[in-house]
Amino acid sequence: MATSAYPPPPPYYRLYKDYEQDPSSAPEPPPPIDGNYKVFGVEREINEVLPSLESRQLYPKGPNIDFKKQLRTLNRELQLHILELADILVERPSQYARRVEDISLIFQNLNHLLKSLRPHQARATLIHMLESQIQRRKQAIEDIKQRREEAQKLLGESLLVLDGSQTN
Amino acid sequence: MDIITQLQEQLSEIAMVAVNTFGTLQRDAPPDRLSSSYPDPLNPNPKPEEDAKPQVPAQPGAAPAQVQPPPAPPQPPALDLAEHPKAMSHALVLAAKRFDALVAALPLSSEEDQLKRIQELQAENEIVGLELQKQLEAAELELKQVEVLFNEATDNGINLKKPD
Repeated sequence: MATSAYPPPPPYYRLYKDYEQDPSSAPEPPPPIDGNYKVFGVEREINEVLPSLESRQLYPKGPNIDFKKQLRTLNRELQLHILELADILVERPSQYARRVEDISLIFQNLNHLLKSLRPHQARATLIHMLESQIQRRKQAIEDIKQRREEAQKLLGESLLVLDGSQTN
Repeated sequence: MDIITQLQEQLSEIAMVAVNTFGTLQRDAPPDRLSSSYPDPLNPNPKPEEDAKPQVPAQPGAAPAQVQPPPAPPQPPALDLAEHPKAMSHALVLAAKRFDALVAALPLSSEEDQLKRIQELQAENEIVGLELQKQLEAAELELKQVEVLFNEATDNGINLKKPD
């Protein structure tokens, strides 16, 4: 694998020299990858799932998690722990490590919750895209209908004009 | 920015404010008096003593708890020691409140609802797509007919034109 600091661009551009004249002379774009792939030396899968928190999970597991409530609860816990840390630093400064660990655990849980909301966001984006596509298609149908009607009207008028001039 | 990214950014901001709070307090904390046998470091004596300032290691957060207004030292540090924690804790609470507000603004719905809506939309999309295709085909047919008629009319027009 070539690992230079500033690698040159890939040489595929040469294959597209005659694209303007003959679009079929250039190769097709590569098909979507199936299975695992390598990026910068790291191997990844195509359907990456979020690894679970296992024993370090603070919020209750289960099929339906009330995200808003859990996020708010964890936020309050976080504030309490920060306050606790301040107190500990005043009274027993040498015991800060445990509190700092707790705070970082709470942050991990919060981030895990937020990341697990991403699939929901993806579905919502899909819904939005479908809705806007339906909207555009309906608009196009209306436009076409309108134009056809106009064309029919014009044809009818021109027919009347021709008939009128014929009978003259 | 989408709301989940905003939430994540808000979370890092809370972390940053907390870390800055503790860091600033630890950095600016004045030394504390260990015991009455040592001279008070905050209260420099009339006779200067070089070894009279026992530096307590890591005595942070004690600044707001200490109420030892130094008589001689300049004013700015005293103000900072009281203002800093207030301002920073204000910022912390503000950041936490913003997080809560963002959480409240999350448009959540269950997964089944979303999947059902996606299926409905897909079905409607199919129907609308078919309708659009029908209209397109009809419009193209009419266009061809009009073109044929136009060509005929122009041909007749040319044929009927009196040669000069």
